[in-house]
Amino acid sequence: MIRGRWLALAAIGSLLLASGMQGRYDSTVNYFGDRNAFVSLPSGRTLQVLSFGYRNLAADLLFIWSIQFYSTYNITNRFDFLERIYDAVTDITPRYREPYLIGALIMVLEAKDVPMALRLLEKGSRAIPDEWLFDNDAGYYCYKYLKDYKRAERYYNLAAAKPGAPNFLKRMKAHLVYMSDDPQTAYRMWLDLYRSARSVLEKDSARNHLYQIRAENDLPQLQAKIAEFRQRFKRYPASLAELAGSGFVRAVPPDFYGKEYLYDPLLGTVSAARTFRWKQR
Amino acid sequence: MKPSIKGIAINTFRESARNKMFYLLVFFGILFALSSKLVSFLTLGDAMKVLKDTGLAAINFFCVLIAIFTGINLVYKEIEKRTAFNILSKPVSRDEFIIGKFLGLALTMLTALGAMAVIFFAFIALSGGGFDPGIALYFLMLFLELLVIVAISLLFSSFTTPILSFIFTVSLYLIGQIMWTYNEFRSYITVPLWRKLTQALYYLLPNLSKFNIKNDVVMGVAAHPWTILFSVLYALAYVLALLALTILIFRRREFQ
Repeated sequence: MIRGRWLALAAIGSLLLASGMQGRYDSTVNYFGDRNAFVSLPSGRTLQVLSFGYRNLAADLLFIWSIQFYSTYNITNRFDFLERIYDAVTDITPRYREPYLIGALIMVLEAKDVPMALRLLEKGSRAIPDEWLFDNDAGYYCYKYLKDYKRAERYYNLAAAKPGAPNFLKRMKAHLVYMSDDPQTAYRMWLDLYRSARSVLEKDSARNHLYQIRAENDLPQLQAKIAEFRQRFKRYPASLAELAGSGFVRAVPPDFYGKEYLYDPLLGTVSAARTFRWKQR
Repeated sequence: MKPSIKGIAINTFRESARNKMFYLLVFFGILFALSSKLVSFLTLGDAMKVLKDTGLAAINFFCVLIAIFTGINLVYKEIEKRTAFNILSKPVSRDEFIIGKFLGLALTMLTALGAMAVIFFAFIALSGGGFDPGIALYFLMLFLELLVIVAISLLFSSFTTPILSFIFTVSLYLIGQIMWTYNEFRSYITVPLWRKLTQALYYLLPNLSKFNIKNDVVMGVAAHPWTILFSVLYALAYVLALLALTILIFRRREFQ
């Protein structure tokens, strides 16, 4: 019979040998190099059946795995199955909010595929009709990445109409109307928001927009009248009051704060005291 | 309750509670439920949902294992060790023996589930969550599911070996969990006779998916009161049917 001491030595020796082999194995594998992952994933419906009643757990594990998977940047084709993976997670548990939001975020920021993200968020909206976050995110992605203000406005419209939707959605909607070059409608919407504002932030935001929209409307008109004045008198008016006094305008409109626009008599240019450069892209 | 049934039930409970396997499974059930905290760290967003999902899945899984492992050995071991002869030589009928065994197992399951549930609720509270009546309702439904599983394993234990009982019970458990897909599969059958046979089979097989409300309660989807009532009545009726069948088989068994 083999003595215990020899057995212990054999165990330690074998373990050392195994560690050595692991080290040798590691030297042949580039763990951090580019890899091409093949993902095979059954459909959400199949996974529902295969989870044998542990549906939420299956969705949680797949979702957590996907977060880790999409954080592994050296897998070159990791986006090939992106939509399928999040479709599967959301098919297993359609009322699980996070996969829609996080999935869309990955699609936009990592895969740079906004339409795919919008499809996922619309799916979320259909699954949880009372949730405003999906339309809010969809609106934001349209606004920020697609520069499709009309579509963004539609999403914000949907989000704002949902129960419990925060007030800022109405502001976003009005802002997008302004961005999509419909100043009259935007002015009306901001005026409503200004009148119903319940916080300083809401009031300031509305006031700034009203100021900007009014300035964008007034300044080109005043500039045209100054040009007419110059054509007739071969000089610029000394002041905006002179412009009004000589009958070119009935009265010089004040800015939204009730102050006069700035006028430079040497150059004949009229400008607003404040300029919000929201439309600079 | 008849004293003989009560005596057998209490003894079965004591015997199960003394079993190391029982403690091991309860321990692992609690351990896995608590380790759900680790899983919740890995997610983004609602960690409490993941914590509840994983915890409830662990409790469900280990309770089912306890029900199967204790159930499949129960009658078989009594016959193998010939202790059943001693009991049945006394003024105890075979019917009372089976009913007592079932009640003892039910008490064992109630104790295991109760312990896990209390620890789970305390764990949720410590993790910042509140008491969720939906989860309490789920534990009730899980207990009913366990009663059905115990009755199934008891049935197989009354006439076959533990290994075969295990295979049959696990198979029925898995089938029971996906019974919600059965009718969809059945709709592909075109032959009228097969359609009728499969329909009969549909009502014969245990439909355990109706007790599995854990996925809905975690998502905040309220179960309909009628659904709950029908599930409770279904469990009671199914358990009664299984017990009757077990008694019938056990009555005909000849001991050597």
